[in-house]
Amino acid sequence: MATTAISTPAYGGEYSGEQSGLWSWLSTVDHKRIGILYLYTALFFFMFGGLEALILRAQLGAPNQHLVSAEFYNQLFTMHGTTMIFLAIMPLSAAFFNFLIPLQIGARDVAFPRLNAFSYWVYLFGGIFITVPILFAVAPNGGWFGYAPLTTKPYSPGINIDFWVIGLQILGVSSLAAAFNFLTTIINLRAPGMTLMRMPMFTWMAFVVQFLLILAFPVITIALVFLLFDRFFGTNFYNTVSAGADPLLWQHLFWIFGHPEVYILVLPAFGLVSEVLPTYSKKPLFGYPVMVYSGILIAVLGFGVWAHHMFAVGMGPIADTFFGLTTMLIAIPTGVKIFNWIATMAQGAIRYTTSMLFGIALVALFTIGGISGIMHASPPADLQQTDTYFIVAHFHYVLFGGSIMGIFAGIYHYFPKIQGRLMDEKLGKIHFWLTFIAMNLTFFPMHFAGMLGMPRRIYTYDAGQGWDLYNAMSTAGAMIFPIAMLIFIYNFFKSRKSGEIAGSNPWGAGTLEWTIPSPPPEYNFARIPTVTSRYPIWEGKEVDHESARINAQEGKTAAELGIVMPYNTIKPLFVALGLIIMFCGLMTTPILIAAGAALLVFSLYSWLLSPLEPEHH
Amino acid sequence: MKGTDRLRRLASYAFFAALAIAAVSCNEAHPNSTLVPHSDFGREIDFLWNRLLLLGTIVFVLVESALIFVVIKYRRRENQQPPPQTHGSTKLEITWTLIPAVILVFIAVPTVRTIFITQAQAAPGSLNIEVTGHQWWWEFRYPEYGVTTANEIYLPVGRTVNFRLRSADVIHSFWTPQLGGKRDVVTNRTNYIWYTPDSSTASSVWNGFCVEYCGASHANMRFRVFTVTPDQFASWVAGQKMPAHFGAVGPTLTAGPPGYIFPRDKIPDYAVPHGPIPADLRFTPGLTGNAARGKQVFSGAACIGCHSIAGNPIAMGVTGPNLTHVGSRSTIAAGRFPNAAAYLALWIKNARKMKPEVLMPTLGLDEYDPVLKAKVTAATGGLTDQQIADIVAYLTALK
Repeated sequence: MATTAISTPAYGGEYSGEQSGLWSWLSTVDHKRIGILYLYTALFFFMFGGLEALILRAQLGAPNQHLVSAEFYNQLFTMHGTTMIFLAIMPLSAAFFNFLIPLQIGARDVAFPRLNAFSYWVYLFGGIFITVPILFAVAPNGGWFGYAPLTTKPYSPGINIDFWVIGLQILGVSSLAAAFNFLTTIINLRAPGMTLMRMPMFTWMAFVVQFLLILAFPVITIALVFLLFDRFFGTNFYNTVSAGADPLLWQHLFWIFGHPEVYILVLPAFGLVSEVLPTYSKKPLFGYPVMVYSGILIAVLGFGVWAHHMFAVGMGPIADTFFGLTTMLIAIPTGVKIFNWIATMAQGAIRYTTSMLFGIALVALFTIGGISGIMHASPPADLQQTDTYFIVAHFHYVLFGGSIMGIFAGIYHYFPKIQGRLMDEKLGKIHFWLTFIAMNLTFFPMHFAGMLGMPRRIYTYDAGQGWDLYNAMSTAGAMIFPIAMLIFIYNFFKSRKSGEIAGSNPWGAGTLEWTIPSPPPEYNFARIPTVTSRYPIWEGKEVDHESARINAQEGKTAAELGIVMPYNTIKPLFVALGLIIMFCGLMTTPILIAAGAALLVFSLYSWLLSPLEPEHH
Repeated sequence: MKGTDRLRRLASYAFFAALAIAAVSCNEAHPNSTLVPHSDFGREIDFLWNRLLLLGTIVFVLVESALIFVVIKYRRRENQQPPPQTHGSTKLEITWTLIPAVILVFIAVPTVRTIFITQAQAAPGSLNIEVTGHQWWWEFRYPEYGVTTANEIYLPVGRTVNFRLRSADVIHSFWTPQLGGKRDVVTNRTNYIWYTPDSSTASSVWNGFCVEYCGASHANMRFRVFTVTPDQFASWVAGQKMPAHFGAVGPTLTAGPPGYIFPRDKIPDYAVPHGPIPADLRFTPGLTGNAARGKQVFSGAACIGCHSIAGNPIAMGVTGPNLTHVGSRSTIAAGRFPNAAAYLALWIKNARKMKPEVLMPTLGLDEYDPVLKAKVTAATGGLTDQQIADIVAYLTALK
């Protein structure tokens, strides 16, 4: 076994000498290392959110159970949603954005490496800020959607909602900074010949998602500022007790953000799967231009459907008709994606790797979520479905069957690129099948519970309502997830240490990131390649042999190759810390606001005055 | 050989799917099923749902079979030549853009039609009911009859009922799954929903729920709908219009015979609450209440601050449910517990232990109030078990 390392020369080893130790991680500006930080942090939060869900399911396993109190249950479901959306799925996507975008477009880093580090630290601190309260049973308890006026001071006087308002505001800073960064990167740093229509599909979907982020997040930011002012400074945007405020203002603002958010969560997974399916079918993505256009169309239409979350609020027949029809329209580009994925695999030579299994599962399960989505796109039909477990079933098929399955496909596919070693396929397949069974056993019965009248967000239900069997099934299914996750974690860390050496292109993939060693050197490409096609490796005649040969070399440092790389710096971390301290001050004492602002301004000043990289000679 | 095997397997899947759907449609075991409508509104929705389910199932079967077929058929084989590097097919892609579009037309047209039918104004002559959502109970007023009740509605079958929905605090949502869709109860707004219970539903009980998350006890905000014959409804109204049957005061108000009440022993199990009693909440056994004394205790205690009893001029509070005919109701605490002396006594003693964060304060002497985080003392108006038993006797008598 020891000979493997010798016979496979493209292993770059651990990140090179000067790049190890705690300090190097705290001060890194390397997009790959920041991607790894995102990956680990988000996987931690994913398991934390999963643990919250396990308690929810345990409570609902049988009628009239009281494992946890109503108050704590409400905190748990609020935090389960908030955690999975903002702390798990979005950052897992961000992990791939970070790691992959520069590699896929032939760049040495993102456009703003230090801003990238700042985004991560804000995410980490914001995540801790919003998560810690649950350990003391004072977590947010207004639902992830935080409907006013329930979340206004008169109805939620505790600090619970404050953590939510401020926490989301902090996380929004991180998402926006990252979005501008990736957008600039994709627009400006593409290698010569990497035209937009030659970009790998993951980068394309990432590109679309960054637009969604910078258009959707300002809306939630404003909505949250209003709520924050209501709660802290006595304004009356949503405060129905003292003035004639209209609580539907919150709902509209929230869902103008909230619906594009769904596509923010799922399009990156679509992108990953569009890399995975062609690789293991040994065929290019079917209908590449249509896949691009349908992604853009989904994103554009995604801004015109928000009120389908509000068919029961009484908007009137005109609004219901409009939003019902626009919602149905989204099914068309989404359907095209599904069919094109199937056509990608058709006539291929399919290898059932773990990554491929997760990718196929995405196609199969997202289809179910899409079909149930059409069922509540019809407003009258939705009046029987909204706020029942049918909806819970629907969006778990979209977000677990779609996003999470896609992300796992991505993890198994890119693990060798990230760590330089392969994950264990046998354990991977056990992980896949357990996840697949658990997912369907947990969420499919929820369709029935919902159509049989079970409301959402209830901490308990009475016996004899006809829901017992379906809830017992869901709970049984949920208990399988932790076993699957433990196998995954074991596999992850074991393979990281002793997995088979991967080499630069273990899967025989066709895109640019597979031309360089695994893990890639800090400068990614010793020579920036010239791109002439969508799958440069597969379409061999077009490969830039010179670049490929040079890039396959290993062990050379950036300095030896004369490549200028940015300095490591701790300053973004301190700017992020200052920001968090400021927000903490809002909940405690003005002194902290001043202290946080001072730290922020000082660190930012020092950041802006220090050079990014050594001067060019 | 292989083909018939696959066919047989598919057939068995179809059989189990049909079995599952049959089990779901069965009314007896599924008292809140949305799939068995009992009103005009319910049928309108059901028509759409059936079409959505049919088309959805067809799409599901086609897409998933295509996927499974492709994944199995095109698996890599030994010594396989590299597959053809096709990049797409405009013809195919136009086809599978158009097919969903056509399917959607068959959904969109009846959808729009139903939207306008169900959101039209209620027919003239409808029975108006004013619904007010409170954290965490329902107030129902019949403005034509001057009747106010809580958590239980009586409806005459065959007559359209028009609910006027308002909220006293946060957003709630009003839903009786078997009678029609839901409508949110939005603060600072008035919403409407109407439907006509089928004539065949006379002598039925339906469960209702709050379906918009509204705080700690959202799960405990339920109600009951009794659909009765027009005669029974008239009798019920007559009874409810009268002041409290027990010890009513007033110049001309004399208590007549109580009106129709849905017989308790006819209420099916699914409409009888099974809410568990907190283990650490106990009531002195063997106490007998005295209704007359109970009326005095009630009138001198905190109760009157929140509750009204027509016929008891001192009880005029409006923040809590109207108790004029509380004895005629089948449940307490918004459908959380049966309306029986044992539950009522515990409820008065420590409501906040029985229903999280409920506004009704803990009243039992030496009881711990989980919201105020303090013990109730005589100075703060604590009631002894005997006093509570008396109140229970009084309330039970208010038929």
